[in-house]
Amino acid sequence: MKFMGSAIAILRKDILLELRGKESLSLMLFLSLLLLVIFNFALDTGKENVSSLASGILWVVFTFSGILGMGRTSMAERDEDAYLSIVFSPASAESFYIGKVLSNLLFLVIMEIFTLLFFAVLYDFEKIISMLPQLLPGLLLGTLGFSLVGTLFSFLTTASRYGEVLLPFLYLPVVVPIILGGVSSMDIILNAKAGGAGKWIQIMAVFDILYFAVSLLLFRYIIEE
Amino acid sequence: MNIIELRGVRKQYHAKTALSGIDMYVRQGECITLFGPNGAGKTTLLKIISGIMSPTEGKVLYNDKPYSESDIKKDAFYLGHRTSLYNALTVMENMDFIRRLFSLDRRWQVEDILRGHGLWERRNDPVNELSQGMKRRLALAKGFIMNPKIFILDEPFTGLDHRWRSAVLAKIKDIKKQGKSVLISTHLVEEGHRLADRVAFLHRGKFLFIKDREEVDTGEIYGLFDSMGEAAR
Repeated sequence: MKFMGSAIAILRKDILLELRGKESLSLMLFLSLLLLVIFNFALDTGKENVSSLASGILWVVFTFSGILGMGRTSMAERDEDAYLSIVFSPASAESFYIGKVLSNLLFLVIMEIFTLLFFAVLYDFEKIISMLPQLLPGLLLGTLGFSLVGTLFSFLTTASRYGEVLLPFLYLPVVVPIILGGVSSMDIILNAKAGGAGKWIQIMAVFDILYFAVSLLLFRYIIEE
Repeated sequence: MNIIELRGVRKQYHAKTALSGIDMYVRQGECITLFGPNGAGKTTLLKIISGIMSPTEGKVLYNDKPYSESDIKKDAFYLGHRTSLYNALTVMENMDFIRRLFSLDRRWQVEDILRGHGLWERRNDPVNELSQGMKRRLALAKGFIMNPKIFILDEPFTGLDHRWRSAVLAKIKDIKKQGKSVLISTHLVEEGHRLADRVAFLHRGKFLFIKDREEVDTGEIYGLFDSMGEAAR
């Protein structure tokens, strides 16, 4: 109970920080909007192509907007060494990690909802909204994987002077299985391809479990020095 | 009873040795003041004692257990050069966050503590709108909600005017009376000496001495600062 109480306190604090500072979610939303507009101009996204391009475009947007947002939430902890308030409290490193994962997850989900809506409007592709129930497992598992790894790596890299530059280089290679799974499962569902999205969903679930176990173990060492 | 013990501690930052041959202990309920010029290793030593930093070599024990197996961070309050505050949150939100982390239900206590630190009137202001001195007071006020066994305070008087310096001094004396241990680093010779049960002087990562307060007078400490070309206050 106390474990989750600390995690919820951290989530609540991050929501308040976002409401006051508008440093993470607003930047994520702006970047996702910008990327969607750029892709709209750069690619031939006519009615006949958009279905095959949708998964690639959306997961690129999710990935890069996510990196930006998670970097910012960790920076908020490093500014003025604010995270030491949590370190010198009864909250365990594990509940600290869970709290940060939850807040990153929340911001990522909001960004993805916004991105999907804007994609549907900008690319005249309402099908993506009507197929949301089928897409949901892949989206949720992918977002969870992003948050599990992103929380760990963003905290690791923000300790360095070049943190925000380093983050994509460390984070992207590790989340490749999630990106692959997300793009493939969405592509299969949107274009009714053979093979089914199930195996990709399973792969993402396995990686999420792996990421969770490893990150939970490592987070303690990252905040210690 | 020794609650913290350091044996042969050395800290190396690449080619620079920040601390070497540090042996010390902290007894329950005592106050140790660390003096020393800038770069002497005071902050590094306090970070190692608080468990934020690991020594390159040597042992650090809390209640006779190595730090890796101890819960020093759950029993200590560390005030570093930075305030450990969330700048975008208000004074009250920062305090409320700490209260929630510690599962405390005592809202009235937060009010008392904020009043005691002259911050109640500013409770709804974001921290980034406070002066340096107010931030420092708020950072210290957090320690009183946490109610830890050990206070580790790195230059707690920085940015405080004369009035608040005296107020903080009185609060630290109260902490001592409650049987808590206090470790302070400061350049303020009179204040630091008055608070201490034992006084230590660090220079180039080594203790020049660590003695009972009665064995060292302030003149000796001023003299050491002078000889190192640094002005004590």
